[in-house]
Amino acid sequence: MSSSSFDAPLDNIASPPPPSHKGFFGSFFRAYDRFSQWRTDLDLPQPGNIENLQKEVKATHLNNYMFDGARADLTKSLSMNPLFQVTHSFALGSQTLPSSYNFGAVFANQKVFLQGGVDHDGNVNARMNHGWAPNSVTKAQAQFSSQPGHNMIQLEHDFQGKDYNLNAKAVNPWPADFTGIYIGGYLQSVTKNLALGCETLYQRPSPDLSEFSTSYVAKYTSTDKSWIGTAQVQPAGMVQASYWQKLSEKVEVAADLQVIVAPTRRDALATLGAKYDLRLSTFRAQLDSTGKVSALLEQRFTPAFAFMVSGEIDHFKNAAKVGVGVMIESSTLTPEEMGMVPQP
Amino acid sequence: MPSEDTKEYIAKAVEVGRTVLHYGWIPLIIYVGFTRSNPQPSLIKCASMFLHLLLAY
Repeated sequence: MSSSSFDAPLDNIASPPPPSHKGFFGSFFRAYDRFSQWRTDLDLPQPGNIENLQKEVKATHLNNYMFDGARADLTKSLSMNPLFQVTHSFALGSQTLPSSYNFGAVFANQKVFLQGGVDHDGNVNARMNHGWAPNSVTKAQAQFSSQPGHNMIQLEHDFQGKDYNLNAKAVNPWPADFTGIYIGGYLQSVTKNLALGCETLYQRPSPDLSEFSTSYVAKYTSTDKSWIGTAQVQPAGMVQASYWQKLSEKVEVAADLQVIVAPTRRDALATLGAKYDLRLSTFRAQLDSTGKVSALLEQRFTPAFAFMVSGEIDHFKNAAKVGVGVMIESSTLTPEEMGMVPQP
Repeated sequence: MPSEDTKEYIAKAVEVGRTVLHYGWIPLIIYVGFTRSNPQPSLIKCASMFLHLLLAY
């Protein structure tokens, strides 16, 4: 939800007629105009940013959706446009995470997205996006805790050109001595199908210690956008490849392979997953090379009530996890105010 | 390189900013939400929301 409203591609930039330049410097400008005209004529697509390189794979696999134990999300919408809603989330009985309560609030309009959450220990997470233009978004993310060492801030700016994307991030920057982690990414469409890019990470944990590392990415999208293949090479000997295909309107499959070839460690992990979008439910199933089989069903009984069941069996460790969840939405608004057409 | 005084001042300013955001971020969202919402919700809902928040902190 956070980025979708800002990620709209910019196809409607009209190219202005090339102005006539004279003199010595004019020839440079003419060359530049010719170059940009040629680039516009190529009509390359917007590649999306590096962070969203495997967006489709992540939406198909259930790693991001998996939970265990019991959970309940109660959402109350107080306004639809601009969006304003508050959420109470409860989670208990999980094998990996302690029981928790979280209160969240979201406000979003065309330009600004504000989100905040506070848990029962008083830890606050905050998120803010501001769209300066449809193709230029600044994002900030932070975590505040009363325990020292649990605070985090991340500042990010994302710029989408017509056929490229530029992204700059700063994680925990400290203004006094410029320590922190800085990341810059560039992704460029090379042909209508292929986009290539690189991402440089600059780590500076203390003023006299700094380190650069660059990873390279490639993304191939088929002409009808029914399948996408991506590859990413990281300097520490990590290679990640993924493949996603839309088999039909309702079925998507995705495969992901991660290989680590470092002098100290050799490892590989393969994941296969499928997602079925039915009329009122979504079913995800996944199998990976560590012997885990998992599935998640989200069933929506009415627009305001959804029920989730998840299960995971680890065949190598002989362990299992089960999760049950409910999502209830209520609103103080009448159907007309929510923009729904009343039933005749 | 900034002097020691400047460094101390920056550290203090960051700490104050962090504390303000820690306690003020969610009240700010609720304030912005209630004042910009369409239709504007009643004040009693706003008050109950802050009560919830107080319990959470």
